[in-house]
Amino acid sequence: MTADAAALDILLAVLLVFLVWRLLTLSDLFKATILFIVFGLLLSLAWVRLRAPDVALAEAAIGSGVTGALVLDALRRLGAHGAVDEARPLRLNLARLSGGLLVACLGAILLWSVLSLPAGWRGLSAEAMAAMPHSGVTNPVTASLLNFRSHDTLLEIAVLMLAVLGVWTLDAEPKPSAEPAGPILDLLVRILLPLMVVVAGYLLWAGGHAPGGAFQGAAVLAAGGILLHLARPFYLGNHVIIRLVIGFGFAVFLAIGVMLVVGGGRFLEFPSRHAGTLILVVEAAATISIALILLALFVGNVREGAGRDAP
Amino acid sequence: MTGFMMFMAATVLASVALGLCRVLLGPTRADAMLAAQLLGTGAVAVLLLLSHATARSHLADVALVVALLASVVSVAFVRRLKPVGGHNGGA
Repeated sequence: MTADAAALDILLAVLLVFLVWRLLTLSDLFKATILFIVFGLLLSLAWVRLRAPDVALAEAAIGSGVTGALVLDALRRLGAHGAVDEARPLRLNLARLSGGLLVACLGAILLWSVLSLPAGWRGLSAEAMAAMPHSGVTNPVTASLLNFRSHDTLLEIAVLMLAVLGVWTLDAEPKPSAEPAGPILDLLVRILLPLMVVVAGYLLWAGGHAPGGAFQGAAVLAAGGILLHLARPFYLGNHVIIRLVIGFGFAVFLAIGVMLVVGGGRFLEFPSRHAGTLILVVEAAATISIALILLALFVGNVREGAGRDAP
Repeated sequence: MTGFMMFMAATVLASVALGLCRVLLGPTRADAMLAAQLLGTGAVAVLLLLSHATARSHLADVALVVALLASVVSVAFVRRLKPVGGHNGGA
């Protein structure tokens, strides 16, 4: 590694630690939010330097497209008084203490499981790379996520669906009055939204042979939906159609798994001749569902009844 | 040439890090928000330079996504946080 690369890495590491320290200790929650957004940007640079471009892409897409807007929206709901947290940085209350204990337990379990690995074990990467020709794709990350460990990904989509249920159950906000968007925002939406749809499709397609895939594409698509919602508020409600689309990715994934069992194979064990096509079908369905799920997390639920009629 | 690209990437990151002062000092919320946008632009530049320096063309995809989505946060700021204290949109 050259001196320039070392300088870049050291600067990045110092900045990340500094940002975490400031965003956890600032009492002004707005500044903490901005620092969190900047932290996401620099974190995706760090993933690039760690040669994990898939993770960098996911962090960039979810960090700048979804969570930034989500946290800013949460800040608005806290109102003018909630924007300053006097109890920061570390005044302990019961909730923080129990949360901390929970995280410490999880950390201890993870540490224990790493330490209990047999000495000299080299991991599964050699086996995974040997099986790559049968996976149907050439990007090892996509092969792991959608072929070798597809059960994991199936359940992750289910977890996201549960999150939407939680939001629909707990969250209900009054409809904000729809202020007109203004010409600049209108133009921005008109230019950016089609680009976002195209880039989401590109990332989905690229996932087979380069960094990309369903989650990254879905995050870009969801960011487009968030942009549209901010310009011209709309509500998803919990219509049958919305529910069907949210469940679509999981249903397609599960149906393919069941079909493989019926055809004499094992659950979600793709035959290598059709693996590429099956992975693309699953990813395309998952992209649509995950995008709507992420959008539903942002848009939330409307307070008045079914929310279809304007008050 | 690649060494030069890497040097420039480090330099851009260092100069952009100075923008953090604006996030921390303010004085207004818009200053902090715009400083974050500057950091986003800087991150795009660093990613493109790294893409050339390390000959990994797919890093340009990461830069594309950052550039495309950077404005979403600004729009959220303008549409959701600006009215605080003034005209309240909620009913």
